[in-house]
Amino acid sequence: MPRTGVFICHCGTNIAGTVDIEKTVKASRSFPGVVHADDYRYLCSEMGQDIIKNAIKDNNLDRVVVGTCSPRMHEQTFRKAASEAGLNPYMVEVANIREHCSWVHRNMDEATPKAVALVRAAAAKAALNDPLEAPAIEVEKRALVIGGGIAGIQTALDIAEAGYVVDLVEREPSIGGRMAQLEKTFPTLDCSACILTPKMVEAAQHPNINLITYSEVEEVKGFVGQFDVKIRQKARSIDPVKCTGCGICYEKCPAKAPSEFEMGRAKRKAIYVPFPQAVPNIPVIDRENCLYFKKGRCQICAKECPPQAVDYEQQDEILERRYGVIVVATGFDQLDPSIYGEYGYGQHPDILTGLEFERLFNASGPTAGKVVRLSDGKPPKKVVFIQCVGSRDKARGMNYCSKICCMYTAKQALLLKEKLPDAKSYVFYIDVRTAGKGYEEFQRRAAEEYDVAYLRGQVGKIFPENDYLVVRGVDSLSGKTIEINADMVVLAAAAIARSDATELGRIVGINSDSYKFFNEAHPKLKPVETHTAGIFIAGACQAPKDIPDTVAQAGAAAVKAIGLLSKELLKGEACTAEVNQAECSGCLYCEAVCPYNAINPVEIEERYHGGTLQRTVAEVNPSLCQGCGSCTVICRSGSINLRGFTNEQILAEVDAICLQR
Amino acid sequence: MAERNVDELKKIRDVVSQDLLGGRIDLLLGWEKGHYWWQSRPLFAAREEDLEKLTWDSFCAVNLSRYLLEELKDHQKVGVLVKGCDSRAFNRLLQDNMVKREQVILYGLPCPGMLDYKLIVHYAEAEPVGIVEQNGQVVIKTAAGEKTADRQQLLMEKCRGCLYPDPVVYDQLLLEPQGVKEVEERFKSIEELESLSDEERYAYWEKELSRCLRCYACRQACPYCSCRECFVEQENPRWQGRAYQPSENFMFHLIRAYHGVGRCIDCGECQRACPVDIPLQELNRKLIKDINELYGHYEAGLDNETEPPLLTYRPDDPAAFSEK
Repeated sequence: MPRTGVFICHCGTNIAGTVDIEKTVKASRSFPGVVHADDYRYLCSEMGQDIIKNAIKDNNLDRVVVGTCSPRMHEQTFRKAASEAGLNPYMVEVANIREHCSWVHRNMDEATPKAVALVRAAAAKAALNDPLEAPAIEVEKRALVIGGGIAGIQTALDIAEAGYVVDLVEREPSIGGRMAQLEKTFPTLDCSACILTPKMVEAAQHPNINLITYSEVEEVKGFVGQFDVKIRQKARSIDPVKCTGCGICYEKCPAKAPSEFEMGRAKRKAIYVPFPQAVPNIPVIDRENCLYFKKGRCQICAKECPPQAVDYEQQDEILERRYGVIVVATGFDQLDPSIYGEYGYGQHPDILTGLEFERLFNASGPTAGKVVRLSDGKPPKKVVFIQCVGSRDKARGMNYCSKICCMYTAKQALLLKEKLPDAKSYVFYIDVRTAGKGYEEFQRRAAEEYDVAYLRGQVGKIFPENDYLVVRGVDSLSGKTIEINADMVVLAAAAIARSDATELGRIVGINSDSYKFFNEAHPKLKPVETHTAGIFIAGACQAPKDIPDTVAQAGAAAVKAIGLLSKELLKGEACTAEVNQAECSGCLYCEAVCPYNAINPVEIEERYHGGTLQRTVAEVNPSLCQGCGSCTVICRSGSINLRGFTNEQILAEVDAICLQR
Repeated sequence: MAERNVDELKKIRDVVSQDLLGGRIDLLLGWEKGHYWWQSRPLFAAREEDLEKLTWDSFCAVNLSRYLLEELKDHQKVGVLVKGCDSRAFNRLLQDNMVKREQVILYGLPCPGMLDYKLIVHYAEAEPVGIVEQNGQVVIKTAAGEKTADRQQLLMEKCRGCLYPDPVVYDQLLLEPQGVKEVEERFKSIEELESLSDEERYAYWEKELSRCLRCYACRQACPYCSCRECFVEQENPRWQGRAYQPSENFMFHLIRAYHGVGRCIDCGECQRACPVDIPLQELNRKLIKDINELYGHYEAGLDNETEPPLLTYRPDDPAAFSEK
């Protein structure tokens, strides 16, 4: 007969406010196998844990039920307490009477019987619990960082500095990401390239960092400590060993294509490096636009290349490596503002997004650093900035604030005045949000010292007239209609998740929020962890972020990664599947649905009519199994059981809830 | 008294005799006449004299592939006569790892559809003593004289909705193929059931399933039921109550149907085998229709390579529970 102890937590008023604790404890005493029941205000506190430990010893308990918050919060706490008192940690069963009960009900009459039922179910399951042992997993001392922007670079550098090998995978031909596209950075006006380039070079030269550029992650299998990853290294068509980065090839190349780095506002060659400070400084042939690959002639780059580094025959390569941890730092995209017809984006060359405008300041940008209209090359006299294009817009855009636009707009207006003292900037805003060290002062300086006119209101229409753009809006403070004949319009388009973020999330095994940004495990306490052990996130792939926040988060992700890599062994999953091979028919559907490749067919021999018969059945490799339970539900004959969640245990819970009133 | 085509039978017999006597197979699964002229039952032919009993008429409805599960334990190489549905059943078993392809020789028999004795009686309005088939017509002979009916009207329920009368997998095709059939009405009865209210639907199934004897003939005849130990017989845990009451009958039939989701080949053997005429194909067809609507058109058993929808994940799979 089991000796179960039940402990009900008040959680202050979180539970006690809607669940009658006294009634629940009293009811618990009548459940089969329960020999002790108690309650406490905060079971997770030191005192609360001591109550459990002492009760285990005093009452000789062999299993424990805690009616508390979600097991995601404190299951580990109570398991640890139980094992300190000499119990196997898996003899602890959590009844979630907070998230599943007190928090979703308003009155005691509803919540109390439900809490009683949940505790009864947990006690019924606990009676059938068996002691379990977690296997040990070896940790591959190598980290994978996906995304070579400032977040990925910083994470890679921090992990590498701690002495671990890092592979930094970047989709584009060069690392650098969005920060490489910026001219100056708020609020200090550091030149972006000046502070980023040294980091790029440092990453490239660090003995522990392997740059894997022009590459994408195609497959991730396995689990924390042992992720097996396939990386597709796309063919650059250049031999990286021979190439000296002299640049003759792209000087001579006759074929042109829109430059991704310049947001399509300038052309690049078909053989190219995305920007002058590119790391690695090795060109790439864009096979879509290369004359040789399209039509089979030209080959000028190969003829002109002094070290003969061009290799048209190069094929994509698949790298297969094992990693202990993965950090995802894939950054963000800018919303395409053409969904807002009234702003006329895409209809006129002088209506730009913030990032496109940023490139006009850059010496290697589309206009070689001259801020001029793309339509006629004249310097603008009046520039209108429109805020919240797609941000904070429930109807057509995103609900959230993109966080960086207020500041970069102030910065761009300020830089514009520095470059063109005659120019006048107007900013249409809804609110100005400048939370950050030195941010408010910076924005004030732009408004007060640089003559930037801030107009609170929205723009209803922009249309070209003569050689300017008429911007018609409303000043909501005065209620007046405003019309500005602008030379240029800059739209602060929302920062959005990468269009293929969900796909990457699926490959890596992490989930996204409704805006397709990756979900952190806990918004406050686990901001860089994901719900998948061993996978961390950093930077704007989690939510829009400025550079300081991104770098800080990158460092945090690196610390978490280093923490795991520093362990020789990790505790694996104790709740693994097992096959009853006598019952197993050998259909191997379980093998097909197992996400961890933990199930393999094996041949067994059985007695049959006096002889033996060979047949195939399934077998689970417990060190690979992560206890997800997919196999147990696909198995029609119920021949697979998940330890800790066996069919018998689950049915006992169901019976406890359904058959007893 | 129910021979359809003597030439066809001769051709089949010639081929399988050669293989059985030549040692290419050590057992042939075919049909022989049963106790009545309107019954053809499985024949397990291991010797020459067994082959004399071989028959091929309009009553060879029994799916022979299902017998491979047992016969392959005792025989190295088994020959099976397969109609369209039997061949898809073979694919089902193959995909479920229940049989090995190299242990089986399949003789394909494109099938005109099998006849339902109950319908013959119903049409004859008297005790039939035999039939003669010619040109798509069936002449039913009774003591009171003859009656002629259109062959299509006498088909078994399982053959009415048949899309693939030709075997989809075989080693040798013994008769002329018929081509894929168009069946517009395949899901008609399902749509009618779906249009009922929940209460009406429940009442319908309660009435139908209340007849169930839980003899498990449907399970025994079914190519997707190949578990070594069925959930209904399991003691630990005991999924299926023993009582004869509608709720337990529901439990059995619904769980069985769900075990066939994306796997049922719609051969109708369950319904044919049912001694109390429960419309079991409706349960299966409802799930086939759902699978088609959720995951795109899928026909189980057509080949061995296409994975059943519930064994594959695609990013565009419908996720009814996701927030968007």
